[in-house]
Amino acid sequence: MSEKKSLIRLKEIYKSFADNEVLKGASLELSEGEIVAIIGGNGAGKSTLMKIIMGIYPLDRGDIYIENEKIHMSSPSVALEKGIYLVPQEPRLFPNMTVEENVVIGFNQNKAALGEKLRELIKQLGWNISLSRKAATLSIAEQQLVEILRGLLRQAKILILDEPTSTLTFNEIKSFFKLMKDLQAKGIGMFYITHRLTEVFEIATSVVILRDGEITVSGPVSDFTKEILIKGLMPDNAENVKEGIENNQVDHEKDPVLKVDSLSGYGFNDVSFSIYEGEILGLAGVVGSGRTELAEAIFGMGEITGGDVFLNGKSIKGYKTKEIINLGLNYVPEDRHLNGIFDMADVRLNITSAILSRISKVFINSKKEKEITQKYIDDFRIKVTGQDQSLKSLSGGNQQKVVIGRILSSNPKVIILDEPTRGIDAGARGDVYKIIYQLKKLGLAILLISSDFEEIYELSDHAEVMYHGSNTVELSKEDITMDTLTQAAFGA
Amino acid sequence: MTIIKRIFKKREITALAFLIVLFLGVGLRNPDFINMQSVSTVLKGSVIYILLAVGMTFVLLTGGIDVSVGATLGISAAISATMIRDGSSVVLSILVALAIGIIIGLINGIGVAIVKVPAIIMTLGILGITRGTMIVYTNGRWVENLPDFFKKASQASFGGLNHYFVLAVITVALVQLYFSKAKTGRFFAAIGDNVEGAVLVGIPVKKMMIIAYVVSGFCAAIAGVIFASQVGFVTSNTGFDIEMVAIAACVLGGVSLSGGIGSVIGSSIGAIIMTAINSALIFLKVPSFWNKSIQGLLLILIVVSDVLIHKYFQEKARKQRLSAKSSFVGGDE
Repeated sequence: MSEKKSLIRLKEIYKSFADNEVLKGASLELSEGEIVAIIGGNGAGKSTLMKIIMGIYPLDRGDIYIENEKIHMSSPSVALEKGIYLVPQEPRLFPNMTVEENVVIGFNQNKAALGEKLRELIKQLGWNISLSRKAATLSIAEQQLVEILRGLLRQAKILILDEPTSTLTFNEIKSFFKLMKDLQAKGIGMFYITHRLTEVFEIATSVVILRDGEITVSGPVSDFTKEILIKGLMPDNAENVKEGIENNQVDHEKDPVLKVDSLSGYGFNDVSFSIYEGEILGLAGVVGSGRTELAEAIFGMGEITGGDVFLNGKSIKGYKTKEIINLGLNYVPEDRHLNGIFDMADVRLNITSAILSRISKVFINSKKEKEITQKYIDDFRIKVTGQDQSLKSLSGGNQQKVVIGRILSSNPKVIILDEPTRGIDAGARGDVYKIIYQLKKLGLAILLISSDFEEIYELSDHAEVMYHGSNTVELSKEDITMDTLTQAAFGA
Repeated sequence: MTIIKRIFKKREITALAFLIVLFLGVGLRNPDFINMQSVSTVLKGSVIYILLAVGMTFVLLTGGIDVSVGATLGISAAISATMIRDGSSVVLSILVALAIGIIIGLINGIGVAIVKVPAIIMTLGILGITRGTMIVYTNGRWVENLPDFFKKASQASFGGLNHYFVLAVITVALVQLYFSKAKTGRFFAAIGDNVEGAVLVGIPVKKMMIIAYVVSGFCAAIAGVIFASQVGFVTSNTGFDIEMVAIAACVLGGVSLSGGIGSVIGSSIGAIIMTAINSALIFLKVPSFWNKSIQGLLLILIVVSDVLIHKYFQEKARKQRLSAKSSFVGGDE
C-alpha cells in the first residue's frame, strides 16, 4: 500500500503548568486508518497532550498540522470542526438530559434526522441502550457508550479514546473493538490511550510510550513484545525507592490492624481482606469497580448493608467518621479538590486543620501549629515559599503531600490512600511513593487504592483486585505482575 | 398530543395544579376570588413577573442568578416614563429603555462569564449601582403625569385578555419553542448541567452565559416599560425586592437553582402563582405588610423542599445504579 494520508501531526509540543513542565517536546503523527496506542503511567502527560489536541489547553510551544495544514488550535470548537473528537476517560455528560439530547447537542443538523441516524448507528453496533433515559441514571459504562456514540455521530476523522475500555465489560469491549476495526477500515485515525498492554497488541497499529512528557519509544506494534513495553514503562529508579525496604518483612503473626469481613454496601459486595502493621495492601480495580464506595463505607461516610469492619480487633461498623479518625483510621480521598483541601487557605491551616482541637484549648496554640507544619514540610520536602503560601498555588504533587501531612498529624494507625498520584507529574510521584514507604517503615497499615497497576505493582506487599464490586482475586507479593493485575481487574 | 405531553413535563403540571388549588381554596373562603374580574386582574398583574421570570430562567439554567432585575426594571421604567412625559416618541423611549436593559445585562454577563465574579456578587453590585443611578436620575422624585394614551394602553384587551398578557404569553411560547427546538436552545441548560461537558462538545460557554444575562436585562427593561404604563407613575421604590418574586416564581415552576433544569412555561406559571398569592392575601383580608414575609417564607419553603426531593431521588438513583453493578455477575449484559 502506498503512503497513507497524514491526518494530524504534532511537532515538539511543550506545555507547562506554573513551573511544572508536563510536556517536553512531544512529537506524534497519526495517519488515515491508524490506531496509535499511547501508554504511560500517571502524570506522564498523556491526558495533557490529548487536551492540547482537542483545544482545551493552549500549547506553550510547538505546532499542530492537520492534513499538512498548520492549525491554531484555540478552542474545542476548532478541533470539533476539524473532525477531532475526544472521548474522555470519565464521561462528561449532561446528567439532566436524555441520552438522545446528550448525543445530538451541538449539531447543526435537523434533530429528527439526527435521531434517525443515531438509532441506525446503535442498531449497527448492536448496543442495547435506551435513548430516552436521563444520563444521571446511567452506569459509568453506559455513559462511556454515550460518549463514544457522540464521537461516531459527529463522523470524526480523528478519534481520541482515553481508556475507553476501562469501564466496559468483556463483551462490550469485544463489540467495541469490532467497531474500532470498522472505523479503521473507513480511514478514521485513532489515538488510543490505555493501561492494558494486551489491548495494544490486539487493536493498535503502532505504539508510543510517553514518559515524563517525552516520547521515549515509538514504532509499529509488530516491532514490540509485551516485555519490551513493560520495560519501557518501568521507572528507572524503581529499585532505589524500594531499597532498605525489602528486608522489612511484614509480621503476620500479630493481629491485623484493619480487618474487613465480607463487607457489603452500595457498589460493593462481600469484600474481605486484612492489613497488618507496616503493610501496604494494594487494592487494584478499574474506575467504577466499587473501590471508592468501599473506602467511604469503611471510613463511615457510606452505608454498610452487611459484614463488618474491625480496627485493632474492635468493630467500627456504624461509627461516625470523627470517631473512626479518633480510633486511628484516616482516609485521603481520590479527588483532593472536592474532598481534601482548603484551596484558599495557607499550607499551615491545611496541615493542622484536622488537629486544631487537639493542640488548642480556647485559642489556637500557634507555636505548636508552626512546629508541626514545619516538620511535615521538611519530612516530605514540600516545595513552598513559606507556611503561609496558599494551597491553591502549589503543584498537584505538593498539594497531595500537604493532604497526607494533615492526615498524619492525627497519628493514624491505618491510612487509606485513594489514587494518591492521580494527576501528579512523574517527579512528584516518586516523592509520594517515598512518603508511602516512610509510612510503611513507621509501622502504619496502608490501603492503597489505585487503577494505575504499575503503582500497585511497585508499592504493594500484597494485592487484592476488585471487579464489579467484589475482591475476586488475591495476589501475594510474588504473584503481582501487570498481567495478573489487568486480567483480574477486567474479569478476563 | 405527544408534543403537549412533552412540553408539560411533571413539574409544570404540579405548578398548574397548585395554582388551581390556590384559587379554589381561597375561593372557598371568599367566592369573589374566582370570578372573571379577579382572575383577569391576576393575569394582568402577572405580566411583569412573567417577563422577569423568563429572563431569570435563562440565567438560572446556566447555573447563575441575577438579583439586579428589580433595579433594571426600576431604571428603565423611570427613564422611559420621563421621556414619554416630556414628549419624546414612545418608540424611541422604549428603545432607550431596552438599550439600558441590554447594557446592564452585558455588564453582568461579562463580569460573571469573563471576569468570573460570582453571579450573586456581580449582580448584587450592579443592583446597587443601578438603583443609585435611578435615584440620581429622578432626584428621588416620582415620575408622574404620564400621558393618558400611554396609561390606557394597559387597559386594552383582546378577546377579554389584556394586551400585555397576550404579549407575555407570546413571548413565553416563542422562548419555549427556542429552548426545545433551536440548536442553541439547549446550550443554556447544558452549561448549568455540566460546564466541562459543555466545553467538550464545543458550546461557546462564555458567549452563552453573557447572552443569558443580556436576555435577563432585556426582559427586565420590557417589564419596566409595562410597569410604567400599568401603574401610571414611577416611584423611586419601583422594582424594589421584585427579584425575590421572580426567583421564587422560577423555582416554584421547577427551575433548579443549581442550573440545568427548568422551562419558561414552568416559571411563568410560577409567576402567575406569585401574583395570585398577593391578591389572595387581599381577598383573605391579610394586611398587606405581611406580603413580603410570606413571599420570602414561600421562597425558602419551595427551595428547601426542592432540595430535599432532589437529594432523595438522586440518592435513590445512585443506590440503584451501584447495587445493580455489585450484584452483577459474568461478562455480559
